Amino acid sequence: MQYDMPDFTMNAIQYPDKIAKFSEVLKSVGGVAYLLKDGEDVNEAIKTIYPNAKVIASNCPDISCATLNPDESDDAHQLTGIDLAVVNGELGVAENACVWIPQNVVHKAIYFIAEEMVILLDKNKLVSNMHEAYQQISFSESGFGIFISGPSKTADIEQALVIGAHGVKGLTVILR
Amino acid sequence: MSTRHSKAGEAFLKDKEHASWHNESLWFVREKRDKVSKDIPEWEELRELSSRIKMHTVSHLDTYLEQFTKNAEANGVIVHWATDASEHNEIVYGILHKNNVKKLVKSKSMLTEECHLNPYLIEMGIDVIESDLGERILQLMDLAPSHIVLPAIHIKRQQVGELFEEKLGTEKGNSDPTYLTRAARKHLRNEFLTADAGMTGANFAIAATGDIVVCTNEGNADMGTSLPNLHIVSMGLEKVIPDLQSLAVFTRLLARSATGQPVTTYTSHFRKPRKGGELHVVIVDNGRSKVLRNKDHVKTLNCIRCGACMNTCPVYRRTGGYSYTYFIPGPIGINLGMLKSPADYYDNVSACSLCFSCNNVCPSKIDLGQQIYKWRQDLDNLHVADPTKKLISGGLKFLFTKPALYNTSLKMAPVVNIMPRFMLYNGLNEWGKGRELPVFAKESFTELWKKWKVK
Repeated sequence: MQYDMPDFTMNAIQYPDKIAKFSEVLKSVGGVAYLLKDGEDVNEAIKTIYPNAKVIASNCPDISCATLNPDESDDAHQLTGIDLAVVNGELGVAENACVWIPQNVVHKAIYFIAEEMVILLDKNKLVSNMHEAYQQISFSESGFGIFISGPSKTADIEQALVIGAHGVKGLTVILR
Repeated sequence: MSTRHSKAGEAFLKDKEHASWHNESLWFVREKRDKVSKDIPEWEELRELSSRIKMHTVSHLDTYLEQFTKNAEANGVIVHWATDASEHNEIVYGILHKNNVKKLVKSKSMLTEECHLNPYLIEMGIDVIESDLGERILQLMDLAPSHIVLPAIHIKRQQVGELFEEKLGTEKGNSDPTYLTRAARKHLRNEFLTADAGMTGANFAIAATGDIVVCTNEGNADMGTSLPNLHIVSMGLEKVIPDLQSLAVFTRLLARSATGQPVTTYTSHFRKPRKGGELHVVIVDNGRSKVLRNKDHVKTLNCIRCGACMNTCPVYRRTGGYSYTYFIPGPIGINLGMLKSPADYYDNVSACSLCFSCNNVCPSKIDLGQQIYKWRQDLDNLHVADPTKKLISGGLKFLFTKPALYNTSLKMAPVVNIMPRFMLYNGLNEWGKGRELPVFAKESFTELWKKWKVK
């Protein structure tokens, strides 16, 4: 029996305030959304949110608080001991707090190996649901892309939720 | 006659406290699933869409697999085909051997369980490290998963504490989940950094783009594929879906159905090998193409392995994953086992109350309950039907086809209410094992109807 591909027209959920929904869901999955105020410096904000981060890795030109550029490492294995990674996201999804990152660093390990991570996201680049997201995302030359929703987590021991499994232990999305 | 499932289930229920904890842990997950599904008004539409995309894909599997292969190869991915488990294992070992791999870090894959890959590789001298926390716990205990998504759902924190104390040198008596998870993080981080290759399963393979999509929470699949240069993906051939728009539907359903999360933490798209590295995809049949021709059971190929049917199943929750004889338990496992080998796995078809709750939570609308019912109709052909039940069925048929006798028996039924216990709860009453008989009404519905007592 042959079945046709179904028609995709569906009234998928829309959120009137996508920033509010994104922030609410991100909080529920263990992350934090930080809305940068008008005129507020992103580096100051990062230092305020993560006052104890000593080794900060970023390849973003405007992140002057970075102490190293991970792209300069020859090998991903050298990227140990990073307290905080700061990376750019391309698109956010309100329904599940996903941020799409088309690999925009030399070593994708940086997204997972750092203790904590900040994703910088344009607050106008939020969509309501995954249908819209998959229509808009792009891939980079590297051929790896990822949706990230909050910090890594597990509930493998007695269904007790533990934030921080093998990937980052904390995640802030700075909307600017 | 009891099935192996019912005997194992009886043993599981002996530890009442543990059995009740197991039941409640899974029900908690089911409730989380209900809650998040209700956040999405179009939830039922999504399930319908998912089912129809899967049925379309499965009925055009040749086209989509060809398209996936063509696109993946154009992206620099090396695609392999394995007819069965041993061919899969040999291909994987061949790739590892060629690359001189000594240590392999794996993320969760039920397919590699199906193929018994780990014991094979270990035999061949490869150091195999499971990196999902639940899987690592089980590997250190030398146990198999008891659930496809929550592999160590049956293990108590104290057991993990004792295990880590012995294997990882954690503090004596500390069974705090956060403390133990951190200890595993530290231990496995070293494994990721010293591994020569990483292996993952695939949640989805996208025909239109050649992407392999892996959905995880812990970040282990990504750590394992971001450090070593070699990445091997093992996927069943039913994992292919047409395009990214189809994927949008499945990413909305998968985690909500599985664990009640709005999405998994990571939805990773592997399109090309890493710079200077290799990406291999092994597409495995191992009996799947045979299911394509089976119209009663073809819908099992719709399965996205979320585990929702297990979490909701009253029998699974109260008997545990190890009571089933197939490596995948619960409603989907009963069916997959029968498709694999009815003679080996027929014991599991008794593990169903036909409540059909599984049908109603399945994100791909597999008719799991009806399929189990159909298998039961075939048991007599396999010569494994329960003789006691056959006798009862025969007796009931005799009674139901003789109205006068039936009505007389019904009038006598209330006698049971005043019969002494030893006459009721004995070896002859299967139904009375572990439960109380209901109180029979003094008058039957037919009698009430005739006396105009039914309004």
